[in-house]
Amino acid sequence: MLSFIVSEAFVDLRRAGRVGVSAILLITLSLTALGGFWLLSLNLGRAVSQWRDRVRVVVFLREEPTGSALGDLIRRVEGLPGVQRVRYVSKSQALQSLRQSLGAQAGVLEQLPRNPLPASVEVTPDEDATTPEATRELTARLSALPEVEDVQGGAEWVEGLARWQRLFEIMGLGVGAVLALAAILTVTTATTLVLHVRRAETEIMRLVGASEAVIRFPQLLQGMVQGLLGAVVALALLEIAYAIGAPRLEPLLNLTLGLARAVFLSLPQILLLIAGGAGLGALGGLLARGRATA
Amino acid sequence: MIRLHHVCKVFESGPMRLPALSDISFSVDKGEFVVLTGASGAGKTTLLRLLYADERATEGEIEVAGFDVRALRRSDVPMLRRSLGIVFQDAKLLSGRTVFENIAFVLRVLGTPRREITPKAFQALKAVGLSSRAQAYPAQLSQGEAQRAALARAIVKSPALLLADEPTGNLDEAMAGEILDLIKDIGSRGTTVLLATHQVRLAAQLKRRTLKLGAGVLLKDEG
Repeated sequence: MLSFIVSEAFVDLRRAGRVGVSAILLITLSLTALGGFWLLSLNLGRAVSQWRDRVRVVVFLREEPTGSALGDLIRRVEGLPGVQRVRYVSKSQALQSLRQSLGAQAGVLEQLPRNPLPASVEVTPDEDATTPEATRELTARLSALPEVEDVQGGAEWVEGLARWQRLFEIMGLGVGAVLALAAILTVTTATTLVLHVRRAETEIMRLVGASEAVIRFPQLLQGMVQGLLGAVVALALLEIAYAIGAPRLEPLLNLTLGLARAVFLSLPQILLLIAGGAGLGALGGLLARGRATA
Repeated sequence: MIRLHHVCKVFESGPMRLPALSDISFSVDKGEFVVLTGASGAGKTTLLRLLYADERATEGEIEVAGFDVRALRRSDVPMLRRSLGIVFQDAKLLSGRTVFENIAFVLRVLGTPRREITPKAFQALKAVGLSSRAQAYPAQLSQGEAQRAALARAIVKSPALLLADEPTGNLDEAMAGEILDLIKDIGSRGTTVLLATHQVRLAAQLKRRTLKLGAGVLLKDEG
């Protein structure tokens, strides 16, 4: 019985002809768009999470504290809500760090009459305090300390990145949904055409006592096969685009977002995309059945 | 095998009510061969359609092959039809499939094991004398051959009841005689037969029990 259903589904697929091919192409387009935006969002998401881990608030001090004043300041900063870790950077440490950053050009620092860099306290917010609101509150509390000259840093730009990530997600879903709708309608049309072509078969099947499952499954399977083919082609296109684009984009990603490499969809995500294709096709097949019955 | 008790069928189209069958009662025993006659429009086809649950009776009781047809749920209709063989005036062969494939199609649809399909299909073709035309397509058959193929398709699943709706309507007298001989032969092997025809002379030649319908009413039950 299964072999009958499968063979009838493939016969129907051949009968669908160009409309069937159009349906496969639309599913491919829909899943390629969805998968493309998913890839962008996935990699931006990694950058966001990486940068959230690196959020620091730098508190510049009016004067370099000494002895007990330093210990007292560190204790007060550590006691503020949302502070995970505190590191004191003295004027000389700041200069040393600048010297290392300048490398070969470090000689210019020798021209300075004195060390112009302020002492600072580098504050690492705890995980819950990496949102813009939380870092803004923390900055306000730190600014209120009498020893503090200025406070810099925060999570605003990381949140900007997160907004881009969400935008890509929404765009992917939107474009994917529109194309998916078109794909479902095309599968429905292809299957409806096949149902008209095979109405003689259907009549005979009903007369001889075929169950509804045997009559319906070939259409469902035909839609699913179209969806699966579309998903496989879409994944192949995404993989090709990734293989060509990733090595070229990685230096730029590293420079701008700090991402060493761009990742492809994981196995569960690939399977989800394939299942999505099969689902789109099956839905088209089911709708065609309803339309033909109506 | 068949029992109808005060069966009525009324077709409704908006406010219009068109009575097709009125108060039909009769029964057909297992293995019996019954001819249903009447002019065109007398209600023969409607009566047969009630028997294979293609239409629902408006009133009355219908029992076919042990199934209470009026109480049958839509999902159970296939079970009833598996015990029936049905042939029509038009052979209704699938044009893209050979004669053999047309017969085998029924067995495949019903989930017959693959190894049984070929022998059963050839047995049915042999029974109607069409073995040599197994690989022909419907367009290559004469009308008589096409009707033989339709008969083979109806009997391939060994039905308990054969319903034949004007199976000789499109045939000349000689061919019609051959088809009727085949149907009699099927009946003589134990299959119950209900044959509907408007050809009175042909019905008389069969010399079997005859039910005569006129304007949706059972006029005669004789023989």
